[in-house]
Amino acid sequence: MSASSGEYGEVFDRGYRHYAGPRLGTPHAIWALARYSMARALGIRRSWTAKIVPMVLYGAAAIPVAIAIGIRAFVPGFEFLDYPSLFTAIFLLVGIFVATVAPEMISSDRHDRLLPLYFSRPIGRTSYVLAKLLGAGILTLTIALVPVVALWLGNGLLSDEPLTAMQEGLGDLGRIVVAGAMISFYLGAIGLLISSFTGRKSVAVGVIILGFVLSESLAFAISQALQDQPDLTRWTFVLSPSLTIATMVDGLFGNVEFSADVPLAAVFAVMAAVIAICCLTMFAWYRREL
Amino acid sequence: MVAENGAGTSIETSALTKRYGTVVALDTVDLAVPRAAVGLLGPNGAGKSTLLKILLGLSRPTSGGAAVLGRDAIGDGAEVRRLVGYMPETDTLPNGTTAADFVSHMAEMSGLPQRAARQRAADVLYHVGLDEERYRLIGGFSTGMRQRVKLAQAIVHDPELVFLDEPTNGLDPLGRDEMLGLIERIHRQLGILVVLSSHILDDVERVCDYVVVLDRGRVAASQPLRAQIDDLADLHVRIDGDPEPFLDLLRQRGIAARPAGIEYLSDEFIVSRDGDATLDAIRDASAETGSPLRLLRPATRSLEDLYVDSVGMTAVADERRIQERAR
Repeated sequence: MSASSGEYGEVFDRGYRHYAGPRLGTPHAIWALARYSMARALGIRRSWTAKIVPMVLYGAAAIPVAIAIGIRAFVPGFEFLDYPSLFTAIFLLVGIFVATVAPEMISSDRHDRLLPLYFSRPIGRTSYVLAKLLGAGILTLTIALVPVVALWLGNGLLSDEPLTAMQEGLGDLGRIVVAGAMISFYLGAIGLLISSFTGRKSVAVGVIILGFVLSESLAFAISQALQDQPDLTRWTFVLSPSLTIATMVDGLFGNVEFSADVPLAAVFAVMAAVIAICCLTMFAWYRREL
Repeated sequence: MVAENGAGTSIETSALTKRYGTVVALDTVDLAVPRAAVGLLGPNGAGKSTLLKILLGLSRPTSGGAAVLGRDAIGDGAEVRRLVGYMPETDTLPNGTTAADFVSHMAEMSGLPQRAARQRAADVLYHVGLDEERYRLIGGFSTGMRQRVKLAQAIVHDPELVFLDEPTNGLDPLGRDEMLGLIERIHRQLGILVVLSSHILDDVERVCDYVVVLDRGRVAASQPLRAQIDDLADLHVRIDGDPEPFLDLLRQRGIAARPAGIEYLSDEFIVSRDGDATLDAIRDASAETGSPLRLLRPATRSLEDLYVDSVGMTAVADERRIQERAR
């Protein structure tokens, strides 16, 4: 930048400079897109109205944890909320959260006709879908995992011997992280898939919420219809995200009442298959001509 | 397949064909476009947007090959997209984001690190005239400002070549003039190659050095726009008085000349040029015959002439109507 100084000031010539710095690869672009999508979904650097829904949902998810830790602080040894119960308690919030952020992350690109801009850059269509899944998964983790981890921390710190309690609870922490991650990417993938078919966010929000509700009714109806065939009935959970998550959480935390009939590995396989099917469908969908 | 050395060309295509069902959008298009500001002209449905999409890797051809900046546009699309920028025709901007955030994000999408992306976004928005407005939400921008943001995102990663699809769409005369000024600057001062797809002949004539005319999926013309400026261009001559002695003298020196207009009315001629000796011969013939030389300039063919020859009068009438509307 050149400058000519004068008595009263300086005039700077901001001539165009060519860029000679590094150009990073696809992983950088994927992370940048995931980060941008997350910020956009949370309303960061946007108007205040865009921030309301996510913040309300975060607040709502924090309430049961705050109450549980508060009671534990005043009544030592009293635990009324275990981890599977908390996962179940916040499932509805997580579902609404996904129904809110997934359309914001992917429908708005279609609505604003940004896809030609993305796909005319080095990032490919596969990377685009992976970035969106990464963003949706991480963002959902913040509401599906953080409250449960906070409860685990609260339980540990409020015990008589915090360090020992936390060491002994590391197994629980591992299970919490696995459950939170599976829930986040599973619901995130479903939410993204539904949202990817429309550029209208309100439609996507409605279809996602309706889909969660109807899928549970459908699973219930089919299980009733197949009452005399227990081999089939025990698999009807795959039709409903809420039942799938409940089965996975109960299996992971050893609640045999729900999970005895279905191996935990099979539940994980079902969830992984759903994530894979959602991704493959989106790959095919975005590979179409623009 | 197109050769990938492409040292002197920005775009090369070889028998490039694209069919949508029974509709042929591009029909065995062969091009070798030099590194210049290139105008891509043609009526609606000529195949301009299809060609751009194939060159950007947004669409796959039915057959044939294409190279951009010497890289295979079909087999190595990611590398091509690393080197080019694209300003689409449609309004493709997120209303709820600031111009700085959006342009910076697009820079990161092209591989620039976060900090460099923000710096580049600020620089480029300054150069397109949006320095003051860069922290405002795009939703509040006028059409002209939105076009500038689109231009900024197309050049933020410092591409070698930028594809501009109808960049003056929807702009008022002043906005159009400013946009064309920016595009001229991008090419002439910043050294970025430009491919300008447009319906408007004036836009191409003002900005471009080379023109490709497409008509119904075929190449109707592909040539320098200002060939007349070359030393090789023929000469347009007008003299006062009887032209015959003047023309005889030229013929005696082996220089061919033909009437420039309707023969029996014309005192103007197109003289075939063969280096500077032709200029000397015209000067001498004028002096020897006592015929004052009233006009001596390269024999120009306007872009409109070229377009008429290539596409036909119907298309020109359409373009004129579009231009009238644009004004």
